[in-house]
Amino acid sequence: MHSTYDVVVIGGGHNGLVNAAYLARAGRRVLVCERRHVLGGAAVTEEVFPGFKFSVASYVVSLLRPEIIRELDLPRHGMEILPLDGTFTPMPNGDYLWRVNDHAKTRLEIARHSKLDAEAYDEYGRAMVEMGRFVKPILAMTAPDPTSLALKSLKNLLSLARRFQKLPFEDKYNQVQLMTMSAADFLDQWFETDVLKATMSASGIIGTFLGVRSPGTAYVLLHHYMGEIDGAFRSWGLVRGGTGAISNAIANAAREAGAEIRTQTGIGKIIVENGLAKGVVLENGDEIRADIVSSSVDPRLTFLKMVGSEHLPEDFVEDVTRYKFRGSSGKVNLALDALPNFKCFPGEGPHLRGAISISPSVEYMERAYDEAKYGRYSRRPYIDIVIPSLTDPSVAPPGKHVMSCFVQYAPYHLKEGTWDEKRDEFGDTVIDTLAEYAPNLRDIILHRQVLTPLDIERKFGLSEGNIFQGELSLEQLFFLRPVPGWAQYRTPIRNLYMCGSATHPGGGIMGAPGRNAAEKILSGWKR
Amino acid sequence: MANAARVVVVGGGVNGLVAAFYIAKAGFAPLVLERRELVGGVAVTEEIHPGFRCPTLLHVAGPMLPQIVKDLQLEAVSPQKGNTGLVALHPDGRALRMYEDPRRAAAELAAFSAHDSMSYPQFHDCLKRLGAALAPLVSATPPDIDDLNIQDYLNFTRFALKFRGLDQKDAYRLIRWAPMPIADLAAEWFENELVRATVAAHGIFGSFAGPRSAGTSAGLLLHTAFAGDAVLVRGGVGAVSQTVAKAASAAGAQIRTNANVTHIRVKDGKAASVVLETGEEIVTNAVVSSADPRRTFLQLVDATDLDPTFLTKVRAYRAVGTVAKVNLALSGLPAFSALSKSSGELLGHIHIGPDTDYLERAFDAAKYGDFSPEPYMDISIPSVTDSSLAPNGSHVMSVHVQYAPYRLKNGNWNTRHDEFGDTVLNALASYAPNIRELIVHRQIITPLDMEQTYGLTGGHVFHGEHALDQLFAFRPFLGWAQYRTPITGLYLCGAGTHPGGGITGAPGANASREIIKDLKSRR
Repeated sequence: MHSTYDVVVIGGGHNGLVNAAYLARAGRRVLVCERRHVLGGAAVTEEVFPGFKFSVASYVVSLLRPEIIRELDLPRHGMEILPLDGTFTPMPNGDYLWRVNDHAKTRLEIARHSKLDAEAYDEYGRAMVEMGRFVKPILAMTAPDPTSLALKSLKNLLSLARRFQKLPFEDKYNQVQLMTMSAADFLDQWFETDVLKATMSASGIIGTFLGVRSPGTAYVLLHHYMGEIDGAFRSWGLVRGGTGAISNAIANAAREAGAEIRTQTGIGKIIVENGLAKGVVLENGDEIRADIVSSSVDPRLTFLKMVGSEHLPEDFVEDVTRYKFRGSSGKVNLALDALPNFKCFPGEGPHLRGAISISPSVEYMERAYDEAKYGRYSRRPYIDIVIPSLTDPSVAPPGKHVMSCFVQYAPYHLKEGTWDEKRDEFGDTVIDTLAEYAPNLRDIILHRQVLTPLDIERKFGLSEGNIFQGELSLEQLFFLRPVPGWAQYRTPIRNLYMCGSATHPGGGIMGAPGRNAAEKILSGWKR
Repeated sequence: MANAARVVVVGGGVNGLVAAFYIAKAGFAPLVLERRELVGGVAVTEEIHPGFRCPTLLHVAGPMLPQIVKDLQLEAVSPQKGNTGLVALHPDGRALRMYEDPRRAAAELAAFSAHDSMSYPQFHDCLKRLGAALAPLVSATPPDIDDLNIQDYLNFTRFALKFRGLDQKDAYRLIRWAPMPIADLAAEWFENELVRATVAAHGIFGSFAGPRSAGTSAGLLLHTAFAGDAVLVRGGVGAVSQTVAKAASAAGAQIRTNANVTHIRVKDGKAASVVLETGEEIVTNAVVSSADPRRTFLQLVDATDLDPTFLTKVRAYRAVGTVAKVNLALSGLPAFSALSKSSGELLGHIHIGPDTDYLERAFDAAKYGDFSPEPYMDISIPSVTDSSLAPNGSHVMSVHVQYAPYRLKNGNWNTRHDEFGDTVLNALASYAPNIRELIVHRQIITPLDMEQTYGLTGGHVFHGEHALDQLFAFRPFLGWAQYRTPITGLYLCGAGTHPGGGITGAPGANASREIIKDLKSRR
């Protein structure tokens, strides 16, 4: 019997859409099924309150692969990235640290805190760019299987080893440290200013259930130096119209290539017959047959819910079961009547146009983590804030603003009570923390939306509310992502592929998993 | 007038002595200089009170590599049948006996959890297989990744063959486990908290890390790598050092105690002599330092003799102590509420740290510069097996206490010495209520004492953290893991080199192999 579609893609998040776009461009008949009424998954814009458009979950972009932007011609499809300039860190003692993209300015600012650090900052930047260059190609490759004797795997491993071998000695040294050290320990070697180390190390823990002193967090520092916007190494950006605009642009590219995209089309089951994926059953009971099923949802949903463990090898089910999600963050979105006024830097300056980071000291960050370890949300959390309406007025009514607060730590598993009971209390904690730095905040809030990890799970279908579809910890990266032996986008079920953030190289609005998986699917076809 | 010796070994700890033994055997009669009045370093049994002798720092010797045991004629022992390697205590009065024999341990575990009882033998066997695969690495010189030589390729092949010998599941375990927090690994295998905490202790012992710190499973793997084919040796910790010293002397090494080296003099980029505290200078062809890397490069060698980028790495080397010792002279055997009074129960170690959160909280305190109000403790009562350590009917108890950070935020170790001792005794008293009545004397060794008395810079018993970035080819620094240093004729052979701390002699033996190679080529 002839299938209706060549490929059904489960999930219309940015990775599912990228996957669909590449498959459609290669001439396959592709159908994307999205459970929600909007596309984008966690890269979504929603008008939560009339007139206020929020990047509800994911809020900045930097890692989106330049080849995807180019090949899918995303600017033509409506994507416009606006630079997000700098990071402003208010301090409780009335001082602040304000780093901007202008290197000379940042250097002066850091020199205000420490002359030594200002010098180290140059050297650090250079070293990190070199490291970024080494790691970047790894993002676009399919991870080799180190236990396999297959020629391709061995060749990939060897070429990786050879590239490492060719690095200058100091770079090797840095690379090893980045892969194994904690962000705080790594930065301790370079800098002495506590607030600088705290703010920089924060990027190492975003989305993980680890503290800045946990080994393995240094690696993520690199991501900040890998972000590219129009070729500008290491800047972060906002998207005009919110992050949903990226998803929409990708969707447009996919549609133009011939893909069909349906929203409000949740998947109930993946049809497996004789160990082969044959299509999907929708939540409403309709059956859609396809030669290939490509799932962009996380492994727990894909395998334990949609496939069913009875179709899978026991070892594999065991590995999927212990795959760590452990969501650790929440989100508070605020509709504001005016701009927050920071005690340490009053007024409406350009410092509000970049990221605002509540990360006053390394100890503050670590203590926030300690509470989460024992099942409580941080009473004084790390908060990463952006006010997109300053850069892109289209997202709020004139004179009003939207403020997005990413909050960590908020462990999915609470020791006492449930997130449904604690949601408001959690929101209050975030506002209280912010009000210590910007006392006018309470008076200017028009609306607030609080997303706990439980809400993130319910709304976006991210198990345990993990924004990266699983922890980005060393034992779940590269050839171990999502589970050992299955890092090549394939699964134990033939014709079922994975293309989401749970695969190499992981989460963030990167698109690499979707593109790499499409390559894998297409190469399987040729054979 | 300067004396001369062809090879000087700085420090008479087990590694220094083992290195001296092999160097002497190769015909380069070395001179070992020990700053204290007795040899052994961290492996010493000392009189803590008249008539009471106790292993003052580490209380377990080994496991040691069979080759070292054979060469130095140490006496290998097999674990006693029916011996409880370890008893873990729970405050509710229960005790978990982890027998050496996995089947017997499984039977014991059944009272705690049927699931864990099933898992334990599998876990044990799995560790054994992984240990066997890793074992060749322990006795190999780590590769210089900047300049691989034939030997490195051979070593790599040896390891790769062992690795390929593992089935795919085990191979992945090896890769996956190393960077994992030991708490996660323990939770994957076991459901009972006491069992989990007991397993987790392997990963955090001696480390500035808690069970939830990533990379702590590497500690367990390192342990299994030794257990791969290493053996236990007879006699207490001090006896092992004495035997090793005797073997070194017999082979032709000269050992001087009370000889504190304060300076390594470098001439034309070459180690030329060592200077003692007394001003005595000893001219030499080669200096082998068993002192820790920070002491060697930041104190013994002039900063001007080293490249600044190298010095930066030395300063970044993490060696902040977290262990303190409390050694007790007791008038009788303590009565643990969870254990019967028979001394047979006290042959092995006693683990105190009933659940993962307890251990993690103990570490939390240390992160912010305080000692743990409720510490993790590993206890040994060596007088149970060796009655000569204490007067008749009396005992000595050695308590390894974590965490006790080298740097305290409030006060210092001199002012808080007794407060710390009281904290430990309080914690002990909740498991052995009569402990205070039995105390004849208590000795407290803080990380500061470890630095001042035992010469461990930063008070780290392992000469530096056993963390992923400081093991194997990265110990002590990437590019300098081959026991050589930027100064010609200066070598490292201590616990700060691969395969790290503990009373194993392996760093000393590995280092001697490289040193002898160089000495022969210069002859």
